[in-house]
Amino acid sequence: MFELTDKPIDNAALRARLERPDAGACVVFEGWVRNHHLGQPVNELHYEAFDILARSEGDAILTEIGHRFTGCVVLCVHRTGALRVGELAVWIGAASAHRATAFQACRYAIEEIKRRLPVWKKEFHPDGAAEWVNCTAEATARGPQPADYYARQSALPEVGPEGQARLAAARVLIVGVGGLGCPAAVYLAGAGVGQLTLIDSGKVELSNLHRQILFGIDDVGADKAAVGAAALRARNPFIQAEALVTELTAQNARTLVAGRTVVLDCTDNFATRFVLHDACFPAGVPLVQAAVHRFEGTLDVFRRGAGGCLHCLRQNRGIAELEASAGSCAGGAVFGPAVGALGVMQAGEALKLILGRAGDETFQRTHLVNLLDCSMLAIAREADPACPVCGKLPSQMTLAPSASARESVVLDPGEIAALGNVCRIAQLDAGEVLDADRATAEFLTVPVDDVAQLRELIEKTEVPVILTCRHGLRSAATARLLRAEGRTNIYAQAGDSPVIHSTGPE
Amino acid sequence: MPASPQRPIRIRFFAVLREQAGCATLEVATSAATPADLYRELQAGRGLSFRADLLRVAINERYGAMDAPLNAGDQVVFIPPVAGG
Repeated sequence: MFELTDKPIDNAALRARLERPDAGACVVFEGWVRNHHLGQPVNELHYEAFDILARSEGDAILTEIGHRFTGCVVLCVHRTGALRVGELAVWIGAASAHRATAFQACRYAIEEIKRRLPVWKKEFHPDGAAEWVNCTAEATARGPQPADYYARQSALPEVGPEGQARLAAARVLIVGVGGLGCPAAVYLAGAGVGQLTLIDSGKVELSNLHRQILFGIDDVGADKAAVGAAALRARNPFIQAEALVTELTAQNARTLVAGRTVVLDCTDNFATRFVLHDACFPAGVPLVQAAVHRFEGTLDVFRRGAGGCLHCLRQNRGIAELEASAGSCAGGAVFGPAVGALGVMQAGEALKLILGRAGDETFQRTHLVNLLDCSMLAIAREADPACPVCGKLPSQMTLAPSASARESVVLDPGEIAALGNVCRIAQLDAGEVLDADRATAEFLTVPVDDVAQLRELIEKTEVPVILTCRHGLRSAATARLLRAEGRTNIYAQAGDSPVIHSTGPE
Repeated sequence: MPASPQRPIRIRFFAVLREQAGCATLEVATSAATPADLYRELQAGRGLSFRADLLRVAINERYGAMDAPLNAGDQVVFIPPVAGG
């Protein structure tokens, strides 16, 4: 609930209205009238509001909080009229099950109110002088200017004013706001890419923070895309950064990539990589893809018409097996600077594409980067004339013939139930255990990196096999690997497993 | 070139712009096609100090764009830098 009032705010009554049995935390922000501003004494403030728009904007902010901070209840009251020193100008209370959400929601409310609500205040000084805050000649003159922001970049002959205009007109989609997406987004925002869209359905976890540089400790539990977009807007007020808190799927991928100048693949799983590639490639949208394993990474840029596609590249089945066993779940081990370096390189490739500085070789190389021995290697990559995807003329191209097969490998619980009698196998990483109450009778277990042992187990079973792992990513990759080896009746359970837990600190 | 038709537009001013304009509401007949055009007219006639790029605009009580088309009877509010909280 958002209110504007010209009467004194009764904070005790507001706090009482927030009380509820399921709330374990309440964070209250009170904005007070103080007796000084920018070194000048102040003895009174007059608040003026554009009433109707202020109410609708206040309601909109609280609606956003409802979507971003699930289960959090927020009340907000803003004063208008004449206020003396010490009076309450704004009161915000956020009640939630846990304190982190309450702090985040309360902070979000006051920052958005200060940024968006059509409310103005006039300061009255003891000498009789008065001025509107933020509206003085000094305040408006000292506001940041794009020319100053980009000065050190547009001074590059390769950029210049024309390049800066190209960047401002660019629309870039970043899929995955993790170890790769964070640094990539920071540099694209800094460079002045006019419209950045971040898509990620995940929430910030403590184990993300060692490498995901857009997030801080207070963001744990919040939507990655939303926190990331807000951080980019704070970094560069001259761009638009929007968040899509959802997954990229075969259903929405083509719509999401349509009209983009460049798309960055910063995901951590191969199902999404193929879906994204198969949306970008026929549309002619350049795709900058990076992948990291521990200390090493690869960088590829795909675009229709040059150097082949992801399907050509992935014909090497040995790589597929490596991916299945290497693991890409949140529990996977990764050297922070490795994702940092590769994400920054993705930003570099994207900027070159936007600026028209990418030559043909951009689309004809796989770059291997190794931070352990500090080496880089560029491998020439050519289109496979026999590739079922890009080997054909674009008009004949039937995309991702295996896409539907890939999707049917991953099943939700209802689909698994429909299979009847199944053999469930849990793939456990170091430090992960099964929920003892439920699962030990239902599940066989194998170490997640031991595909050989898994093959042996599968040989002995007659019924469909359902693989599961902590976050569902490695199981899906393993199931696809085993299918590629010619086995049938192998599936992976979609999403996080409710029966696998980590024993160690995460 | 034929003159653009004159249309009635209602304008509301808040805070510092209200003081500079000397009134809270104003009805004008204008050929301005967009809020940006309208602001340029007002700026010259009423001594408004703000550069147009520092303002936001609300059209019929919703935030809008300075280059949005104006229609007869629209209510336009020019919004100087806000200072809530």
